[in-house]
Amino acid sequence: MNQHQQLEEVFREVFNLEDLILADATTAQDIPGWDSVAHINLMFSIEQAFNVRFNGNELAEFKNIGELKAFLDRAASLKSSG
Amino acid sequence: MPTHSIDLVAAQSLIAQGDDLKKSGQIEEAVSCYLTAAKGMDPPLAMLCLKLARGYERLGDFHSACRWTLAVVDAGDDFPAWQAASDLLQRCGSDGGVAKLRSVRVALTGSATTTQLAQMFKLAARRVGVGLEIYESPYGQYEQEIINPHSLLYGFAPDVLVLAVHERDLRLPQYSDSPERDIEAEAGRWEKLWEMVGQHAHTRLIQCNFALPSEAPMGHLGARLPRSRYMMTQAVNARIGERARNGVSILDCERLSSLFGKLRWFDPRYWHLGKQAVALNALPLLARHMTAVMAADLGLSRKCLVLDLDNTLWGGVIAEDGLAGIKLGHGVDGEAFVAFQEYILKLKQKGIVLAVCSKNNEADAKEPFEKHPEMRLKLDDIAMFVANWQPKPDNLRAIARALDLGLDSFVFVDDNPIEREAVRQILPEVDVISIPADPAYYAQALSNYLLFETSSFTSEDTSRTSQYRGRAQIMELQASATNLSDFYRSLDMKAMVASFDDFHLPRIAQLIGKTNQFNLTTRRHGMPQLQTFVKDPNCVHFYFRLRDCFADHGLVSLMIAVRRANVLEIDTWLMSCRVLGRTVEATMLQSLFERAQALGCTSIRGTYIPTAKNAMAKDVFAKFGFKLLEEGEGSTVWGFDLTVQQPIKNEFIEVVQSWEDSRESTPTT
Repeated sequence: MNQHQQLEEVFREVFNLEDLILADATTAQDIPGWDSVAHINLMFSIEQAFNVRFNGNELAEFKNIGELKAFLDRAASLKSSG
Repeated sequence: MPTHSIDLVAAQSLIAQGDDLKKSGQIEEAVSCYLTAAKGMDPPLAMLCLKLARGYERLGDFHSACRWTLAVVDAGDDFPAWQAASDLLQRCGSDGGVAKLRSVRVALTGSATTTQLAQMFKLAARRVGVGLEIYESPYGQYEQEIINPHSLLYGFAPDVLVLAVHERDLRLPQYSDSPERDIEAEAGRWEKLWEMVGQHAHTRLIQCNFALPSEAPMGHLGARLPRSRYMMTQAVNARIGERARNGVSILDCERLSSLFGKLRWFDPRYWHLGKQAVALNALPLLARHMTAVMAADLGLSRKCLVLDLDNTLWGGVIAEDGLAGIKLGHGVDGEAFVAFQEYILKLKQKGIVLAVCSKNNEADAKEPFEKHPEMRLKLDDIAMFVANWQPKPDNLRAIARALDLGLDSFVFVDDNPIEREAVRQILPEVDVISIPADPAYYAQALSNYLLFETSSFTSEDTSRTSQYRGRAQIMELQASATNLSDFYRSLDMKAMVASFDDFHLPRIAQLIGKTNQFNLTTRRHGMPQLQTFVKDPNCVHFYFRLRDCFADHGLVSLMIAVRRANVLEIDTWLMSCRVLGRTVEATMLQSLFERAQALGCTSIRGTYIPTAKNAMAKDVFAKFGFKLLEEGEGSTVWGFDLTVQQPIKNEFIEVVQSWEDSRESTPTT
């Protein structure tokens, strides 16, 4: 499973939408049920699934899925460089 | 630590196969793949439970969907899995799962975000058969909600109020000039809030105590400076613990945060982001413990621990390895089994009844108890010892009958996964603990089982096993007696009947909280309500302590009745099942009639309100000559006319004012 698919899996779990398809341009407005509580659950679930830690400000907001993936890359690179 | 009897690789490939089938729309086939994968796991992985739950949901089988959703709780404390399970429960929870849910209204009030905690709490409670309706206070308004008698919180009329507060709420300075004054003021503030709750609502209270933060500005010095916030926080925890009584329970968050690891319990990022006072991944643990404390308050805790012997209490098989060959006391495993036995003894000490259920010849099974110098458990510690070759579910039923306990108060420990599975399938009401393969972790596994939580501790608890042993002896006597009257007389029963007093109130509240079977109205009065009764001159209330030639059974029955004009109406009448069939009911009514006549009442009214568990009490009024007055929705109302009917007198129990040797048990709450 690549990063995109794994991310999609997490979104499907958190929002309980089995057929959810993510695109880089997807934003919070595109997904029903994405409120502040769901956002916290989502970010935590992503951290668990990818075994990374976001910075506090990355947790708070991102423009779209593309930017979220960039955050993920950054957090993952930090992990692999120790 | 899960134990798996088939290898994980095989399970993974079954799961993958199931996923493919599901994608192609063959849900039924997918579910059957998942089920096969789950069979080899004890407990099954959370992810697999969720797949099964969703599969059953798609098939419209909400009962199975609910069962697998709740299995997530046993699979580990993983927040994302719990979150998904909580969503699933909302969708199919009303249709499936436990047949008889006890519903409880919970108000959750605090000073941080409680949304996720509320969902986790609901899931954990549902796992133990409690359906929660939760009211969450507006963010951060716990004080306003408690102080204002017209608040939404009081309007909700909760059965249980949880004060989910945290260390930031403490009004303590970093350093104090007069630590004692500050500690007292802060402890007093919480105590005042409890009092206000008591004035405005009939609710039990669960107070979270304060987890010391992970940051320590004073370093180690803080631990020897009584005026540091660090030491003052510990002091406030100790003080609210000392003062918590009358329906206030403490949820020991300080212990839980240490258990979980403070660096993980607190996550500053999620505090800044969404005011999560406790990290999301700690919420399942917190919710399970919150449930355990609530369950203890509601009398839903388990009472009896049933133990296997070979490879559970000692290493090896006694019938094959012999007394000298079993592992006990020496070597790493031998010491681990001793430690496990010592932990079991501590549970016995707090009132858990112990029983043995083993596939063995009885003489072999008893030999270590009688002769092995390293055995910590003795035969005296075991209320019921069953060693034979019958199936364990049959033996568990027999133990339940002999001890007169419900199977839903049983917890079963066995190292053999096949036996565990048999009990799970045949007796789903028994809780089965999945102990790991390594005996070093047995005690931890048992300690991680939370439903042995109790809400009070009296000296009766420490002697419970001997009471149950006495009862089993009585059953033998009863079997040999030819005539019931002679049998009752041979027991030499004496009762102490007296009005409620402060000394006995904790035990009375405990009984009211947990008696399910012989309980006519199942009204769960809390301590504040009990105190109201005690002060009310129109209220008749008394407890009943029983002794016989075998045992002191302690306080086993109580009655509350309220006088309205010339009618004395029974509000609450209950009796511990351990003294069923001993004519206690007759003496209870005899005592009630005497008090009714002293008050000048001319009749008694009694009500029976049916629940899932109290069918045994249904006919008690009819049995004693009460006349049926009203009937509706299963409830019945009965009357006894004192001006016409002959009052009841029980010749088998002598009522005394005090025990002659009057060695009173002391509550050690």
